[in-house]
Amino acid sequence: MTLGTGRPDRGPAVDRAGRWVDGAFRLEAVLIYLFLYVPILLVVIFSFNAGERTGELRGLSMRWYEYAIGDAFAMGALRNSIGVALWTSLLATTFGTLAALALQRVPRVVRAVFDVLIYIAIIIPGIVIGISTLIFFVNLFGFVNPWLAYVWSVGGLGEPPVVQKGLHTVIAAHVLFTMAIVMVLVRARLSGMDRSLTEASFDLFATPLRTFFQVTLPQLAPAIIAGALLAFTFSFDDFIIANFTAGPGQPTLPMYIFNSIRRGITPEVNAIAAMVLMVTVTSLVIVALIYRRQARQGGAFGASEGAPILEGDVA
Amino acid sequence: MTDRGAAAGERRRSRTVNAALLLPASAWFFFLLIVPLIILLVFSVGARAPEGGYTPALQLDNYLELPTRAAAFINTLWMATAGTILCLLVGYPLAYYLATRAGTKRTLLLILVVVPFWTSFLIRTYAWMSILGNNGIPAIVEALGFGHVTLINTPAAVMIGIVYNYLPLMVFPLYVSLERLDKRLLEASKDLGAGRIGTFRQVTLPLSAVGLLSGAILVFIPLMGEYVIPALLGGGKVFFVGNALVDLFLQSRNWPFGSAASIGLIVVILLAVSLYLWLGSRGRVEREVSLL
Amino acid sequence: MDRNEFWDLYHDWQHGRITRRHFMQVTGLGVAAAVVAACAPSVGGSPSAARTAGQTAEPSAAAPSASSATVDVNADWTPPEGVDFGDTLVVTTWPNYHDQKTLDRFKELTGVTTQLNIKGSNEEMLAELLIGNTGWDVLVPTNYTFETYGSKGILEPLDLTKIPRFDAARYDTRLLSPAFYPAGSTTQYGFNKDWGTTGFTVNTKNVATPPTTWKEFFQRIQEDVTGKAMIHDYQLTSIGSALVALGYSFNSVAEAELAEAEKLLTAVKPHLLAITSDYQPNMRSGDAWMTMTWTNDGVQLHRDIPEIEYVIAKDGGEIWSDFFGVVADAPHREAAYAFLDFMATPMVAAEDALFHGAPLIDEAAIALLPPAATGNKISYPDAASLTKLEFGTAELLTSQARADLWARVKSS
Repeated sequence: MTLGTGRPDRGPAVDRAGRWVDGAFRLEAVLIYLFLYVPILLVVIFSFNAGERTGELRGLSMRWYEYAIGDAFAMGALRNSIGVALWTSLLATTFGTLAALALQRVPRVVRAVFDVLIYIAIIIPGIVIGISTLIFFVNLFGFVNPWLAYVWSVGGLGEPPVVQKGLHTVIAAHVLFTMAIVMVLVRARLSGMDRSLTEASFDLFATPLRTFFQVTLPQLAPAIIAGALLAFTFSFDDFIIANFTAGPGQPTLPMYIFNSIRRGITPEVNAIAAMVLMVTVTSLVIVALIYRRQARQGGAFGASEGAPILEGDVA
Repeated sequence: MTDRGAAAGERRRSRTVNAALLLPASAWFFFLLIVPLIILLVFSVGARAPEGGYTPALQLDNYLELPTRAAAFINTLWMATAGTILCLLVGYPLAYYLATRAGTKRTLLLILVVVPFWTSFLIRTYAWMSILGNNGIPAIVEALGFGHVTLINTPAAVMIGIVYNYLPLMVFPLYVSLERLDKRLLEASKDLGAGRIGTFRQVTLPLSAVGLLSGAILVFIPLMGEYVIPALLGGGKVFFVGNALVDLFLQSRNWPFGSAASIGLIVVILLAVSLYLWLGSRGRVEREVSLL
Repeated sequence: MDRNEFWDLYHDWQHGRITRRHFMQVTGLGVAAAVVAACAPSVGGSPSAARTAGQTAEPSAAAPSASSATVDVNADWTPPEGVDFGDTLVVTTWPNYHDQKTLDRFKELTGVTTQLNIKGSNEEMLAELLIGNTGWDVLVPTNYTFETYGSKGILEPLDLTKIPRFDAARYDTRLLSPAFYPAGSTTQYGFNKDWGTTGFTVNTKNVATPPTTWKEFFQRIQEDVTGKAMIHDYQLTSIGSALVALGYSFNSVAEAELAEAEKLLTAVKPHLLAITSDYQPNMRSGDAWMTMTWTNDGVQLHRDIPEIEYVIAKDGGEIWSDFFGVVADAPHREAAYAFLDFMATPMVAAEDALFHGAPLIDEAAIALLPPAATGNKISYPDAASLTKLEFGTAELLTSQARADLWARVKSS
């Protein structure tokens, strides 16, 4: 239901006195979009800076792009971020979806407990999660490592493995928050889902597994995809939690950038940011084109057309 | 087909299946949420070792000392509230504008709101450091003859950074809420003689209240725990609770007090959210609105 | 110590109850004098023009030990044979303190990539070390931290056989002594990288007449330099300088004096541009006109922007020495020792110093410096300007009063 009259989507009906107000709204929107995009434009422009420092533009060149691609540390950090984000997204989406499904059929008490846990996981500030998880991990390693050393020495196996902070601890910390989000999204979708379809599927003698894959999952797909995307975005962009839980030699991209800012930033960071932006915008465009093509070909997702998949028609 | 044994077996199997499905999530919640929180609780009643860190103790001193640091809490509270209101003032007209556009244009505009957030959060904030630094806007202002103005490392700079980074979180719920508004109600209101403002106040605003509160909560909660924006745009002078916590753990090394402050922060946020839920139920919101 | 303690000690000395040596040691004055004597070439400790033909340093007080006889002090460094260094080394250190070329050379010679972990204060370093499991290999701590690091087993006692190019004979005993824990024992936890002072830099283009004392520094922040000044995010130097501005000792932990310092800092805070130990970017961009500074940053800033002057305050301040140490349970221990041996080589240390600008202690390294470096008044200041400076004391690292004070100032 849009803000049109009962007629289908053809834009708002305009009344005369409203034109002035509408103009004011339009102006405000334009200003806000400028506000949003000018810093981005500056970032991109300064990435072409031929000079040494980000502050002053001294001619245009691609040298910082070359430098960035050749910079092992920066590229390593970028790779770390992508890896962590992919794993986080995968684990969070899987665990979260499974849990959301299970939560439909458990006693109310269990459901209430999980509601509280999800709630806390979402509202707890990143700082607190970062610090407390760090202390937990360090103490855990403090127990595990001597034990490993003992076992290895008893078994005569040579050098015992040493468990340390690293990308895996970052992934673990990220999964907590993102899994909770996926659970919220999927449960919301589940509660709004049309039961008759699943019932029909059972009536037609489909096994539960088959029903899941052919009826439930496609209906949940938008929420799952949205959750996966959110998890990836959050993990890729997170600084606070990664800063506390990452290992010494393996920074994520935000950590690398923050340390550069502390030390005096060069346009190399701008170049990296511009490249990341380009990649994400391109993939977004591709996804949008695919989606539109599929929608025109009859809707492969099977979700009821027109109903918003999220609050707002954005994947 | 449903004799008792088979039904019981069915239930057992489905219980096992449920348990298996819930296992990974439960493990995560237990080890990475509950245990760390318990550690925090234990630390918060402990004492600071001489060189920093934690020594076992059982005392409430840390909690009793919290009010002395109330300045940081109150500072964060008012800045978070101000930031939320600012986001609201800036985001509401935008959401309204978006909600009144036609189909494809609207989707495109919505996506355009999100695209800047595909660059790194740190880079965006750093861009603002350049813009607000002495070679940015102040230079322009001075060239225009308006005298000198300092923007960087002030609460104002932090506010700008907040609005910039939290705007979409406010705009989306508002947009959803406004988009569902039935325009016929607006027409009816005008037919009954209410002016523009009256219509807005008595029809649009109450009906978008759900989105408003959703957006407010989505902005306020993370804002209370914010650390990076005050650190980068405040130059060590603007201190949120987040900054205080980092300082307590990574400089002063007063873990017990830091833990108590963390728990205090969580409590404050819980109170704020409860307030929201109470307000929401007072407005008789029938529909369950997911936190996102 | 506070001034009462100081005068008590002085009277003890005057009346012969304690030796002059003890007095100088305990008050830290002796070390300041030693630094001047040993390292300021104009006062005639080490040769200033001995660059020619790589002469070794003039004979020092102690006889050269056996190990230095087999190693040519002025030769370049070669890695030890048959040791697997791995491919990474994590060094936790201070801003603008290492020449990238030096690290690149280390990589060429050993294949090890050095990663610098930058911290702005010893407290920050200690905080992470306390949490544990840091993965750091080499640490660059300041003189007053060894008591804590030694007693808590955070640094490991140096295995000197792995650092053949270090020879204690080339270093002034009193400057090296903080690295021994317990004090006076033979367990050594580090050796000196360099020394320096904490003063302030002023951009004379914007501030025609720079302040000369800490008192004036803090005063003018609130007057004509308002909004353009910075102080360290570091309780030792910021609180210490405030104490000196009020006429007290840099190392005071007396409650009343700390309270006054807190008042001063809280009053000054709104006028500051920033509270940070990474102050170079702001000074270089012109956003800041004046900032609390360490010697090495002063040298670098003045070198690139001659209008920026470094001032040692006349009413007192800090004199410090930074060391190299090996973190206990370092994951890359062999590489860490190789790095320490590398940096102990006079030629390497001298070349590194050409970048960072901090004055050195190793006599052989100073001998290799060009006159331009040793004549640099910021790096090697006149003895007179150093007499009122104090070394930080061990208790400051763990003083809860000062840590809490700093936390309160920052959150005010």
